[in-house]
Amino acid sequence: MKARTVRLWSVVHTWTSLVSTVFLLLLCLTGLPLVFHHEIDELLGYAPQPEAHASAARATPQQVADAALAADPGRLLQYISWDKDEPGIVMAFTNSAPDAAPDNATVRAFDAASAKLLGPVGVGPMLIVLKLHTDMFAGQAGKLFLGAMGLLFAVAIISGVVLYWPFTRRLRFATIRDSASRRVVWLDWHNLIGVVTVAWALVVGLTGVVNTWAELMLSQWKATELASMVAPYAGKPPPSHLASLDGVVARARRAAEGMEIAFIAFPGTPFSSSHHFAAFMRGDTPLTSRLLKPVLLDGETGEVADSRALPMYLQALLISQPLHFGDYGGMPLKVIWAALDVLTIIVIGSGLYLWLARRRKRGATRADAFAKRVPVSS
Amino acid sequence: MMHGSSVGSRLWIRVFGAPLLIALATTIGLLAALLWGDGGRYVAWVTVGFPVLVIFGIWLRRSRKAGSS
Repeated sequence: MKARTVRLWSVVHTWTSLVSTVFLLLLCLTGLPLVFHHEIDELLGYAPQPEAHASAARATPQQVADAALAADPGRLLQYISWDKDEPGIVMAFTNSAPDAAPDNATVRAFDAASAKLLGPVGVGPMLIVLKLHTDMFAGQAGKLFLGAMGLLFAVAIISGVVLYWPFTRRLRFATIRDSASRRVVWLDWHNLIGVVTVAWALVVGLTGVVNTWAELMLSQWKATELASMVAPYAGKPPPSHLASLDGVVARARRAAEGMEIAFIAFPGTPFSSSHHFAAFMRGDTPLTSRLLKPVLLDGETGEVADSRALPMYLQALLISQPLHFGDYGGMPLKVIWAALDVLTIIVIGSGLYLWLARRRKRGATRADAFAKRVPVSS
Repeated sequence: MMHGSSVGSRLWIRVFGAPLLIALATTIGLLAALLWGDGGRYVAWVTVGFPVLVIFGIWLRRSRKAGSS
């Protein structure tokens, strides 16, 4: 590699890293507790616990809906969700209007067997950490900004891999030159940790970027796929009365054979039309349980109106989520995720140190050269 | 020419061989838990955890060396 090419890649690596450093540190530091958010919520008493039941009987969706509306008088139901990892709990989202802002929604957990209110969900200190991590309390603009920082991170990683060659080609793999200066020792650690964690960092970085585009993708789906699904019902008013939720869920299950319900969106919410329920069904394998299939059902009669697979970009979004969160391989994978996060913090921190050390060294060299030019008076 | 190219590729493998293998193992592990259920989880624990083990191993070896000298 020519010296000029190395210098060019070095400039790319330095500046993509420097511009994104503060935000990447924020993402890594907030991401660390978020890996264990469920355990932390449980420890702090913010995770609702299901009741112990002798029988396997489950409350019907309509019973859960009634309990949710009774728990929040004067408000409307937006969504009800069934988490496959927490089968003892059903979550209900209520808000002032079907299309009201997500930040104004109240999420409550209900016992899956008795439909008894268990408590609020998504409250406590982890909510602050989550907001800092996803949008820095700056809404969609904050999300897109962090997405851009994620892209810079990816460029920094790729340029780092390119620079790994000229910096290490005379060394054996994993050499740390202890006899050299502290700056060289940290350069070796920076190169080693960076290159060893490159695949994980790229995957987590890029899936994070994809996640910041979630709302844009959803808007695109609504404007194209969902719009064409509800086109035959254009001009229909919002339902005067809602169909029984039990019938709606039963019909959705029949329409998507072999699949279970993940969540149901009520008419007028961002995930449905003004006249339809949208039931989002999931499969039962590790992969298909992440890929949802929407079934559109008439809000008044509960009849199936349409059902289509999600487009590729939304499937990519759904698959990118576990790859970003690291919550799909049990506690050992979470611990590994946290360790890799710490290693990434070390790479970012050492990169910053190396840049500062190099600046200091250059400053000292310039000062020396200047001092040599100035005549010393006797 | 041939000689130079084979030396170049040997050097390339020496520099990038181990990182490439680790990256490949990590990628397989990341997908394994998503695609292969419980069996895939075990694969993921080993392969995604491999970079952490490599760094920890090198750090441990250096610490021991520093302690003994």
